Amino acid sequence: MTRRSFLRNSAVFATGIAALTASLRPLLDITDFPSAAQFMQKYYKELTPEEMAKVLNRIENEVEHQYGIRPHVRDYKPMDGVEYVYCLNLTRCIGCRKCVHACVAENNQSRDPEIQYIRVLRMPHGSLVIDNAEHNYAPDKVPGKGYFYMPVQCQQCKNPPCVKVCPVHATWQETDGITVVDYNWCIGCRYCEAACPYWARRFNFAKPNIPKDQLNPEMSYLGNRPRSRGVMEKCHFCIQRTRAGRYPACVEVCPAGARKFGNILDPESEVSYILKTKRVFIQLKEEMGTSPRFFYYFDV
Amino acid sequence: MFSRGNPVPSGLPEGITIMNPQKKTTVVLFGLTVVFLLLAIDFFTSKSTAVPSYPPIPPVDKSFLSTATWRKSYADLVKNKEDLSDFDCYGCHEKGKAPPLRFDAKQNLIVPEEHKDIVMGHGSHGRNNNCFNCHNENNLELLSARDGKEIKFADSPQLCGSCHGPTYRDWEAGAHGRTSGYWDRSKGPIDRKLCVNCHDPHSPHFPGRQPAPGPHPLRAPAVAAAPESEPHH
Repeated sequence: MTRRSFLRNSAVFATGIAALTASLRPLLDITDFPSAAQFMQKYYKELTPEEMAKVLNRIENEVEHQYGIRPHVRDYKPMDGVEYVYCLNLTRCIGCRKCVHACVAENNQSRDPEIQYIRVLRMPHGSLVIDNAEHNYAPDKVPGKGYFYMPVQCQQCKNPPCVKVCPVHATWQETDGITVVDYNWCIGCRYCEAACPYWARRFNFAKPNIPKDQLNPEMSYLGNRPRSRGVMEKCHFCIQRTRAGRYPACVEVCPAGARKFGNILDPESEVSYILKTKRVFIQLKEEMGTSPRFFYYFDV
Repeated sequence: MFSRGNPVPSGLPEGITIMNPQKKTTVVLFGLTVVFLLLAIDFFTSKSTAVPSYPPIPPVDKSFLSTATWRKSYADLVKNKEDLSDFDCYGCHEKGKAPPLRFDAKQNLIVPEEHKDIVMGHGSHGRNNNCFNCHNENNLELLSARDGKEIKFADSPQLCGSCHGPTYRDWEAGAHGRTSGYWDRSKGPIDRKLCVNCHDPHSPHFPGRQPAPGPHPLRAPAVAAAPESEPHH
């Protein structure tokens, strides 16, 4: 090798390496790499109770590190003899959207970018054509004359299309009827979002942003623990409340009493009474064969 | 550079040359370097990796998260030890003497000055305008049902139920009005609201209210939203 060719080759080599390094610069913008423990975590259904305890402790540490608040993360299991059903009274709903924001506050959804599980549709009286629905309505006062309101959220289908399409089984239906997502197992392919006929699934396109003072520290593994970028989330009937026997946040905030929740296997529950006695109830898009556990009914 | 390759072997069409392997490597490396250099220049100069900016989403007003009911019932006032002077009837009225009612020419009740905060609007027919349809004429600290049965203020749903039967039945079953607390009665108590927690008994129709903000549009709407109008039938 001559001195000239050595110099020329090394100059070319150095330029090449410099160019390659510089072109990889966007990788520096990625800050939310999973930790080794996060990356190596086993599938939810394969975790032993001891491993689960470790995982929950790790999540508590992660949340404390990020938000400065020590949360209380639990893994609530479904109760025996319980199947949840939701009933929504279309005669009573006034479209005030309080449920939307109570849900966001309870379930630690990202505020900006905004993620909301409930979408309130406004439709003119006399038809139930979703094509005529408007969800950006902003009058001074609701309810508006000549309209009715139909809040839509996850319908907790008995035959959920989102579960069928998930290529990694990161979402499944629990025995109490709640379809849950393991945020550590989800690969973010968004097939479930495409499969859902109710627009009930939300994707974290960006890193979720929750103000520290608004974080709800009562968390559950399959429910409202903070999500990371690139995972799917959805309504889970406030699993951290309902599996502890309480009503979901949207029920407790409804000023019109339009939202009803309970155990359909209990003949004394409100939902049993409603499905037995109310004259009309519908399942949204029942022709899809999804068999929702979410019923819309009318008083009159 | 390309023209300095080997001469065309016989059998290949004219114009195609084959480089020796060393030259080929140099050319490929040179090409790659140029590509990466261009990429690097692009990343350093363009802002294509920046997230497109949109106006910040304002935090939602705390009042929309409140689980308080529209009104406070008599039972709530007693429980919270709040001002009960509205219920101190005999501070002004004389005991044992029914207060007189006055009506105008159209048989509408004239609400006395002392009770001017009361809006009489129970029923759209305008005929339910006699105070003593519900209040007990002989003892103002009690209510009275249509059959004359005396009812305490704390038990007011019985009075409402004496006319609104189906609604009362729904309420008893938990289907009318909000329920909060525990759906699982073995884990904790259920919190039932009374009729008067939401409805003003003198004017029970639910008043309209401001809706909470809708989903953020991310971009400012191109055209101003059309004024809210009533739909056509």
